[in-house]
Amino acid sequence: MSTETKETMRRILVGVGNAGVAVLDRIAIEHPGMKGLLVINNDEDSLAASIVKRRIAFPLGDLGEAFLAIEEEFGLAISGAVSVTFCGGLGGECSSFLLPSLVARTKAAGVTTLACVGMPFGFEGRQRRDLATAALEKLHELCDGVAIIDNDRLSGGAPSTAAIREAFQIADQTLQNALMALQGMLSSSGPVKITRADLVSVLGISGAMTHFGYGQAEGGNRLHEALEMALKSPLLAHSEKGTKGGALKEVSTLLLLLQGAQDLSFAEVQRTVSELESLAGEECRIKVGVHADRSPGAPLEIFILASSGVERPALKHSEPAVSRPLVREAVAPRPVLQPIVPPLSPEPMPVAEKPNKAAEPPSSSRPSKAVKNSANPVKQTQGVLDLDTYQRGRFDKSEPTIVAGEDLDTPTFMRKGIKLGSPSRR
Amino acid sequence: MASDQIFVGLEIGTTKICVIVSEGRSDGTISILGVGETPSRGVRKGEIVDLNTVTECIREALLDAEEKTNVEIGNVWVAITGSHLRSFNNRGTFILPEDRDLILPEDLQTVETNAKEVSLPAANSFLHTIIQSYHVDGNRNVLSPVDMVGSRLEADFHIIHGVKTRIQNTLRCIEALNLGIEDVVLSSLASALVVLTQQQKDLGSLVIDMGGGTTDYLLYLDGAVRHSGVLALGGDHITNDISLGLRLPIARAELLKIQEGSASDPELSEDGLISLKNDPGFHGCEIDRKSLDTIIHLRVREIFELIRDDIESTGEGMLGMLGAGVMITGGCAKLRGIATLAEDVFELPVQLTRAKEVGGATQTFENPQFSTAIGLTKYAMAVSANIPDESFLQRVFGGLFRRRQR
Repeated sequence: MSTETKETMRRILVGVGNAGVAVLDRIAIEHPGMKGLLVINNDEDSLAASIVKRRIAFPLGDLGEAFLAIEEEFGLAISGAVSVTFCGGLGGECSSFLLPSLVARTKAAGVTTLACVGMPFGFEGRQRRDLATAALEKLHELCDGVAIIDNDRLSGGAPSTAAIREAFQIADQTLQNALMALQGMLSSSGPVKITRADLVSVLGISGAMTHFGYGQAEGGNRLHEALEMALKSPLLAHSEKGTKGGALKEVSTLLLLLQGAQDLSFAEVQRTVSELESLAGEECRIKVGVHADRSPGAPLEIFILASSGVERPALKHSEPAVSRPLVREAVAPRPVLQPIVPPLSPEPMPVAEKPNKAAEPPSSSRPSKAVKNSANPVKQTQGVLDLDTYQRGRFDKSEPTIVAGEDLDTPTFMRKGIKLGSPSRR
Repeated sequence: MASDQIFVGLEIGTTKICVIVSEGRSDGTISILGVGETPSRGVRKGEIVDLNTVTECIREALLDAEEKTNVEIGNVWVAITGSHLRSFNNRGTFILPEDRDLILPEDLQTVETNAKEVSLPAANSFLHTIIQSYHVDGNRNVLSPVDMVGSRLEADFHIIHGVKTRIQNTLRCIEALNLGIEDVVLSSLASALVVLTQQQKDLGSLVIDMGGGTTDYLLYLDGAVRHSGVLALGGDHITNDISLGLRLPIARAELLKIQEGSASDPELSEDGLISLKNDPGFHGCEIDRKSLDTIIHLRVREIFELIRDDIESTGEGMLGMLGAGVMITGGCAKLRGIATLAEDVFELPVQLTRAKEVGGATQTFENPQFSTAIGLTKYAMAVSANIPDESFLQRVFGGLFRRRQR
């Protein structure tokens, strides 16, 4: 098994509750070979209908006891993981209680823990919103980073006349895109990387709203089209005037990941950054990741993850032995319809102030313009001109067959670098 | 001859478009009356890229078939393939109401509907929902649960879906010729119907249909479809690789592949040169046989490895359970050394296979290139035999993409 596969397996995606299951089902359908998917729900029918292979049924009844019943199975499922990303819709009883408890359990295992959660639509009622808000506070307290998709802000994508089913589909799709963006950033392999510390510094801002955009395009005009699509994503286009990328005016930190073919040029990266700088303003701190090792013809994908608020200084580190009792406390039996989990601990989770050795030293606060100019936050490396021109022959103008990032229309012997004898002409 | 016992299968392939006209026999077998065929244009990797050209090719193939069989063709069964097709297994559950414990035929439909309640990508439609097994109150692998007593009915399905507009484009070519479409069938499902015996399905088999533009595969275990997939890779890729690697025109490369190509391990190939004669616009040359075999071997091995890895990625160890091994059909099955290479990759016994239990034009059913089109007519025969009348079909199974196949 390749190192890359092992790494993929160790990055686990956990879908919690009905929304979490629906989103992971979408991912499993669109990426059939994807490893490390796990769904947890107390709705037996939803779990039975899920196509995700690894499922944990959360028993009905007292929530605290129910969590204890699945805790060991969950611990086994995440053992050996380097990161766990949770997703689900907050507001439901299962996800609002279970997510913080699972996050606490994961942090206790010393694993980088992110959450990508949806806040309920306004029409779902105040009680649901309150439950979601309380759960979100808890997640901010526990997680290394939380990406929040506020369903009400998706109205740009689903107008008020939209069918309710459609509105939920858009919410699920947005959550899915955000989740794939997080996975893309976590697995970013360069030449310019977004580190886990970068992600945590953006998503770890308590109370800040996340803005997310995704675009994809291929062909000669790929940059313009992909950027246009990303900036028109509901959570980025949202603003009073409804202009593209309007929400970027409010953000303080922005992560930009460009994934594409080996011919992705510096000029394209530069133009993307310039465009975002012009929209977000000079005060905004932009961190760039470039992942350009795909085969020629692969589409260009642009992920934008932005947040308003002040950056968190560093990755949190938990000591398993210390934090384990917190999990028990988190799941102490309580009335079923209480709005949210009782406080996990009178004290905050143990947080190491030292930066992670593996992570780039993040800035401790929002940088001023002067700081930004003097210390370039974007780590750029010199690109290498690819002198091996891959040919596709008769498939030159057809849709590429991309499998695991490789363009299989290019002859196998060329991709494997095997030299052949030349035919001798008469 | 009753017209309702004539079945017409249409395969719009990347290399050829063929129409098979078969007659259904009372013993459940089919007899091929004739085949219409024309080289394909406007199709790439199994999908239509030039609608008008493809429509014209279909017209030619239909006329050819009508002329050879003296049958006027009004309706066809159509094979579909393409890399947009995806599949997964899912279980549907139905809890019987408290006041009833007898399982009714309509409960089977409910459990199927429940199994399909997953969020497909918005652009996709269901193509097949293939039953694998029923479970009644935990009693696994029930063959027919109707009239059984129970409280919980579950069913495992293999579900195949694809991009709706891409499927529709195939249908538009046929509609433009004022032909009726009986149903759309996954290519590999049609092939498996005629290349596998029931015993091979029960023992467990992997059918690989390697055509010009795509390689379709379908895995049977315990008599049910457990896995399927389509790779947009096929014989055209081998030809293209030869053309680029040995700097030959495509037509020359295709001829070289057919006449001299081998997928065997190039280390075991004979040393020597292959002499290519002069043609108008082509100066003759000599080709190193090892280079040719290396190009073919690497490509075919890669295709088999992709299939193997895809099946293994399910984590169910299905390859280890295949008692009947691997069956290779389609045009590429004629490539020398392909069986040995497949045995090496899958570590299973491999057979090159073609349509079985078919009568009529021998040359047609003995050619693995026609497995899919012949399979379509076998599929049509099976559906007609299982379903009493069309109104029942419409009522129970709904629209075009919802026909159930056992």
